[in-house]
Amino acid sequence: MINYQPLISHFKESPLLIQIAWVASCVLITAIILLSIYLKIMRYHLRKKEKENTQFKNEYEASLIEYLYSGDALGEMNATQESIIQKIKVSVPIKAKRKIIISVLYNLMNEVSGEMSDSIKLLYYKTGLIRYALERLESKRWHIIAKGIGELTRFKIDEVHHKVSKFVNHPRSEVRKETQLYLVSLFRFEGLSFLNNLTTPLSEWAQIQLLETLQKFDDQQICDIRPWLKSTNDSVVLFALKLAQIYNQFEVQDTLMELLSHPKKQIRITAIQVLTHLYGVEAKELLKANFNDLSLEEQICFFGMLEKLVMPTDEPFVEKYLFHKNFEIQLLALKILKSINIDKYMGLSQTATNEKDSSMIKLVNSL
Amino acid sequence: MKKIVLAEDNTTLSLLLKFRLEKEGYTLFMAKDGKEATELIEAHEPDLIITDIMMPFISGLEVISHVRIKLDMDTPIIVFSAAGQEEMVLKAFNLGANDFMGKPFSPNELVIRVKRLLTVVAIS
Repeated sequence: MINYQPLISHFKESPLLIQIAWVASCVLITAIILLSIYLKIMRYHLRKKEKENTQFKNEYEASLIEYLYSGDALGEMNATQESIIQKIKVSVPIKAKRKIIISVLYNLMNEVSGEMSDSIKLLYYKTGLIRYALERLESKRWHIIAKGIGELTRFKIDEVHHKVSKFVNHPRSEVRKETQLYLVSLFRFEGLSFLNNLTTPLSEWAQIQLLETLQKFDDQQICDIRPWLKSTNDSVVLFALKLAQIYNQFEVQDTLMELLSHPKKQIRITAIQVLTHLYGVEAKELLKANFNDLSLEEQICFFGMLEKLVMPTDEPFVEKYLFHKNFEIQLLALKILKSINIDKYMGLSQTATNEKDSSMIKLVNSL
Repeated sequence: MKKIVLAEDNTTLSLLLKFRLEKEGYTLFMAKDGKEATELIEAHEPDLIITDIMMPFISGLEVISHVRIKLDMDTPIIVFSAAGQEEMVLKAFNLGANDFMGKPFSPNELVIRVKRLLTVVAIS
């Protein structure tokens, strides 16, 4: 039998600091051993779970393929398909399995088209997965709602739009973004009608995503964007301006002209850019007449418009700004003059009074 | 029986296409990535290769380049590409791909293209 007495008496006789060090060491060694055992058990369970998930995924994939290929040409359900649906239905209430089913279905839906994609959607309905997505919409947590809407978008479930569209003005931008993407992905340009009632700002990122989604469609027939150009929500106006430019909305030029007197400077500037793109000659005359009332940014933007839409009759106006104190305006004015009257432009090098103007003329010469 | 090597990292899609092509009488060799695909091509010398462009380890473009340049094989190649990979498709054609299909696609259409390519090869 091992005699621990000398060890205990040695420990008791040691200084307090050594005793504390011994106790701490023992506690730490015990903790390390316990944590190692816990880690081992946890890893074993995770591996077991992963194995189970892989096995379930393989079984489920096989059933899914069987389901997809056992359908008839008329799209009617047969006994094999019914039995597969019943088999999958049993796994749907289990969260982990449901997650696998959804991920496999979604991955496949992205890759195949036509009747097979419709069959996947039908399976989504028949297995009751849609019920769980709709339940998510009732959640109090915003991220659950956003995930639910995202899932409905991915599976193209357009029948529940009335349940989704109520989130258009949700306090969380993530939920709003998912709602907007749902509406535009499934209803294309018609889905943009949410802009009529949008009271919250439409972020730049959300605008980019919406435009990207719209450009995926083959049918690029856009609806009337005038109501959005007149919206009281500035971000909606800016988005409508982007639509006017991308989809060459020549018919809304009058509404764009009205935006030149909008209280927001950014909207006025963007309107000038869009009118430039749409060859708004009338806007050019209007801006020329009010040039001195414009802000510096608008004046620069207007000269950008003039560069594109210049006519010989604009020469007297341009001449007034050949030696403007702003670099961009002077540069654009010189470039415009060079393009419409090269002789007058060449004569400028003699009339230039200071070094800055001479350098600018040299710069434009080199362009 | 004609042999086809299918390189696709989406296991469900691979299985779906395998089922469909086997039903048409082809023998399928499946690869999860480009590396496995090159190994299968070297080992089995297939009559047709179907490959996705974006794959782990070795991309579909590298698979095409390996077949055309290193192995110096004329085996017809069909590539899959997702939306927004138009440039990749051009590169694939420059490297020697014979046909392409944009995702999402119909498996029935793939079967038609496979049959057509194999017939063209048989005639020539």
